[in-house]
Amino acid sequence: MTATLTSGPPATSPGRATFTALAIRETRRLVLNPVFLFAVAFITFALWAGPDAGQTEIDTANPYPAIFLGGFGMMATFWLTRSMRASEPVVGVTPVTQPVRTAALCAVAIVPFACGCLAILRFVQLIPVSSPLYGPFSPSARVAVLVGQIVIPALGGPLLGVALGRWVQFPGAAFVLFLLIYGWVSLVTILTMSHASSALVAVLRLFAPFAFFTYTGDTHSAGFAVTAWRGSPWFFIGWQLALCAIAVLVALLRGAEGRVRTRIIRALAIAGAAALILLVLAALGGFTYPLTA
Amino acid sequence: MVTASISLRGVGRTFGATRALAGVDLDLKPGVTGLLGPNGAGKTTLLRLLATALPPSQGQVSVLGLDPEVPAERTGIRRHLGYQPQETGFPRGFTAFAFVDYIALLKEQSQPAARHAEVRRVLDLVGLGGLGAKRIRAMSGGQRRRVSLAQALLGSPAVLILDEPTTGVDPEQRVTLRAVLAELARTSVVVLSTHQTEDVAALCERVIVLDRGRVRYDGPVTELTGQAAGRVWLADEPDPAASISWRTGTGRYRNVGGRARDDVEHVEPSLEDAYLLLRGGSPEHEPAQEAAS
Repeated sequence: MTATLTSGPPATSPGRATFTALAIRETRRLVLNPVFLFAVAFITFALWAGPDAGQTEIDTANPYPAIFLGGFGMMATFWLTRSMRASEPVVGVTPVTQPVRTAALCAVAIVPFACGCLAILRFVQLIPVSSPLYGPFSPSARVAVLVGQIVIPALGGPLLGVALGRWVQFPGAAFVLFLLIYGWVSLVTILTMSHASSALVAVLRLFAPFAFFTYTGDTHSAGFAVTAWRGSPWFFIGWQLALCAIAVLVALLRGAEGRVRTRIIRALAIAGAAALILLVLAALGGFTYPLTA
Repeated sequence: MVTASISLRGVGRTFGATRALAGVDLDLKPGVTGLLGPNGAGKTTLLRLLATALPPSQGQVSVLGLDPEVPAERTGIRRHLGYQPQETGFPRGFTAFAFVDYIALLKEQSQPAARHAEVRRVLDLVGLGGLGAKRIRAMSGGQRRRVSLAQALLGSPAVLILDEPTTGVDPEQRVTLRAVLAELARTSVVVLSTHQTEDVAALCERVIVLDRGRVRYDGPVTELTGQAAGRVWLADEPDPAASISWRTGTGRYRNVGGRARDDVEHVEPSLEDAYLLLRGGSPEHEPAQEAAS
């Protein structure tokens, strides 16, 4: 042990270099997070090792990435964001401001997003886009449905976890929100089964970060049919991306001050308006009535 | 070249209806300044103000010639600031090295090799060189305290604010810490709050005594100690003339304050004696309306 100060301060590099290094550090922490590791392991098993070769509908498998990469990813980033809260007296007086730290945390969502991209590739390998299981949607709309169900939730869930971690004190908040979203999606899906033609029900169904677009009838009967529900999968992606932007902005708002805060609030207003418009377009666009093929 | 200086003019801080600091005027230059005062005197509030963790309710604070109320200038201060709060929480799963390395990254030291060398240096300084790989949660209270101190020493900051740095630290480490701080104080402003008057006597050239949010004494340690000359004596019994008496390890009573008889054995006063006299002679003399910040 020495009691002398043997060297001066190392060179510092404010700005992009620090942000990149911090984002890499946070990404490494996410990748080593047990909840996220479990989620990735489960998805890998479900899509690579375990899927039923005789798959008869898409809706049994495509929520998995949303649940595990999105839902569990949300819980992982929530934990990641909260983990430094105890050290805030130290962390809070460093030159890296809280919005920059939040931005670095948001950057980790690239990992679940990449996992979502891999998952969708595997999914279309298992069930090609040309398969009749997708119902009466056009090939491009089928891709849009899958992107909205697999890739975007994998991105949005972790971003929502960061926002939640920045603003909510309750340690179980991410799990409660996960249950609420799961419950809401289940509820509106059941509602849609009985009121498939209703525009209001279509809005309710799409007012969520995840939505089903098809319903498969009795898969054991010889001539089963796939019904495409109302709504535009393309505009739904827009709505989901607007939600992602809102999550990022809400997260960044914490600790922002001065002009940065004003800009974030302005951007939030724009993203909120865009989300509303895209939700309406998603509900009114696409098929305007249930179509069975 | 950063000129290490701190200036406070008419600084006050309130928490709701509670006044934690009032009308504080201070000028701090390179050197070690000790901060003494009873619990709730406003020491931690003052240190948090100096560390840019808290804005003042009244008055002006200037650190290194910069205004901490201006976000860009606050960041400038933080680039040259080391702060050890009274209590530091640590994220779960972090080793001492990983935690200090994380803080180094937040201090914009993004070059891995230089940063790691700096982290090893500060861990060596606090005597944790061999324990870098140990999880903080598995460390003793004193070791955790030293991890907290290590992060404050990163980059040999121009301003070092330490809130009770020696609490729970063993005597050998305290002596080492004194050497480290004395070396750093050649060019840096070091302010430390403590209840250990012997640390202040051994290390600080200047002492500030806070009481009920106001500066009660500000001057050289020797001068404060000198104020108690002739007012400390030993006797076989507690002297009713003394403000405070206690039985020492030798079995005799140390009497402080009041009027000593001529036939008593006067002893050299310590800083603790002088502090007790300044406080009114009674360790139980606690302020009624103080904020435990």
